[in-house]
Amino acid sequence: MAIVNQLVEFVDRRLGVREIFDKELRGYLLPRKVNAWYTLGAVLLTLFGLQILTGVLLLMYYVPHADQAFASVQRITNEVPYGWLFRMLHAVGANVIVIALLLHMLSVLFMASYKGRREFTWLTGFILFNLAMGLCLTGYLLPWSQLSFWATTVATEAPGAIPVVGDLAVEFLRGGATVGNQTLGRFFALHVVGMPLILLGLIGIHLFCVKRRGISPPPFGADYRAVELPDHFTYEKHPHGIPFFPNYVVKDGAVICFFLALLLGIVFFAPGLFFPESAFEPADPFVTPPGIKPEWYFLWAYQTLKIFPSELIGLGVQGAFMTLLALLPFLDRGPERRPAKRPIFVTVFCLSLLIFLAISIWGHYS
Amino acid sequence: MEPQATPPAQRRAFLLMFAGGLGGLLAMAAGWPLLRFLAPVAGAGEDQQVTLPRSTVKAGAAHFFQFRGKPAVVLQPKPGEYLALSAVCTHLGCVVQWQEGKGEFLCPCHGGRFAPNGAVLAGPPPRPLENLPVAIVGDQLRIG
Repeated sequence: MAIVNQLVEFVDRRLGVREIFDKELRGYLLPRKVNAWYTLGAVLLTLFGLQILTGVLLLMYYVPHADQAFASVQRITNEVPYGWLFRMLHAVGANVIVIALLLHMLSVLFMASYKGRREFTWLTGFILFNLAMGLCLTGYLLPWSQLSFWATTVATEAPGAIPVVGDLAVEFLRGGATVGNQTLGRFFALHVVGMPLILLGLIGIHLFCVKRRGISPPPFGADYRAVELPDHFTYEKHPHGIPFFPNYVVKDGAVICFFLALLLGIVFFAPGLFFPESAFEPADPFVTPPGIKPEWYFLWAYQTLKIFPSELIGLGVQGAFMTLLALLPFLDRGPERRPAKRPIFVTVFCLSLLIFLAISIWGHYS
Repeated sequence: MEPQATPPAQRRAFLLMFAGGLGGLLAMAAGWPLLRFLAPVAGAGEDQQVTLPRSTVKAGAAHFFQFRGKPAVVLQPKPGEYLALSAVCTHLGCVVQWQEGKGEFLCPCHGGRFAPNGAVLAGPPPRPLENLPVAIVGDQLRIG
C-alpha cells in the first residue's frame, strides 16, 4: 500500500489529480433518489468498450474479402484458441447493447428526463442510438454467411422504394447493383473505422451535455417539485445528493455486473440464441434461403414495410415516427415530468411500446 | 467479555485487499483466453516436409521456397548434388540472394556473403546459414 500511496503522491504533485478526483467524483453530487435506470449509461459505456476490445482482437484474424471472409470467421471460431469466446462476446454483445440502449431510451422517455433544456443530450443520444443500429447492420454482413448476405440484401433494398433516387440510393449503399465484395469492403470500413470514430466523438459530446447541465432527479415521490427555469443557463444542483464516488459508482458497478452476467450467460448457456442455421452456411448469391429475416431489433421496420400497400408509405411512416422521436423535447415543452400527471403521454408511450412489440413478433412469425 | 470492534481503517484495508485479490483473480481468468488468442499457434508445421520436383532446380541455380513458415533455398552446385539451406541471414534476418555468376549468397542488407554450403565468406553474419536435410526420392527432392 505504501508504494501505491507514494505513486499517487508522485503523480499528484505534478498533476493535482487528488483535486480533480475530489471535485469531479467525490464532489459531483447526484439526486439522492437515483434508481437503477440511471446506471444504463455506464452499462453502455462498458459494453461499447468490450465491443472495441473484442473487435480489435477479431480484426487480427478476419479477412475482409468475399472469397475468404466466411472461412476466416470459421477459423476464428473453430481453430484460434478462445476465438469462439471473443467472437461470441462481440456478436452477443451487440444484441445486449441494443437491449440496454432501448431500456435507456425508454426510461428517459418515461421519466421525461429530456425536459429542462436537455434537448442536446436527447439529440446526441438519439443519434448515438441510430449509429449503434448502423454498426449492427454493417457488422452483420461481415461473417459473409447466407444469413448475413441475404439479410443485408433485404435491408439495403428498402431505400429502393424512394421515388426517383431510390435505385441510385440502393446502388450507392451496396457499391454496385447487388451485394458483393464491394459491399463487404465499404461495410467493413464503416464498421471498424468510420462509425466507431463518430460514435466515440458523440459519446464525448453526450457525456459533456449530461455533466454540464446536471442530472435530472427522478420524478417520483411526494417531495418532487417541477423546477421553473430562469432565462439563462443554470446547472441543476443537488446540494443534499449522494456523491458520484463511491455511492453511485457502486450502484453502477452492480448493474454493469448484472449485464455482464447476462452477456456471459447467453454466450455460455444459449450460444445459438442469435444464430439461426443459415448463419453457418457460406454466402451463395444464387440461392436465397427460405424465410430470411433481419435481426430482432429491425423486425419492426421490416414488418412495417410489409403491412402497407406501398413500401413508400411504410418508409414514410418509419421516417415520421423517427423524426417525431428525435424532435420530442422540442414538442413536449411543459415542465411536468411525473408520469401520474401526464396520462396522455403515458398512454401513448405504453401503446407505442405494445405496437412495437406486436409488430416485431408479427414480423418474426410472418 | 465482549469482543473488540475492528477499527474502520483495518476493515477498509481488508476490504481493499479482498477487492484487489478478487479483481486480480478475475483479471487472470479474463487474461488467459486473451493470451492464448494472441499467442502464435504452437508447433504448427514443425514436422512439415517439402517435396519439390528435381527439375525445378537447375544445375548452378537456386530455387527459393517456404519451409516451416520461413524462406529457404535449395541449389544444385554440381549436377546431381543438392543442398538446402535457410535463406534467412544470421546477421539481422534479411533474406539472402543467390549470385549465380559468383556461385555464392549475398545478403543485400549489410553485404554478408555465404558459400553455397552456407559458410560465412565475409561481412557481419556471426554464423553460417542453417543447413536443411535434403533427400532424393525418385525424381523428387524431399526437404526436412
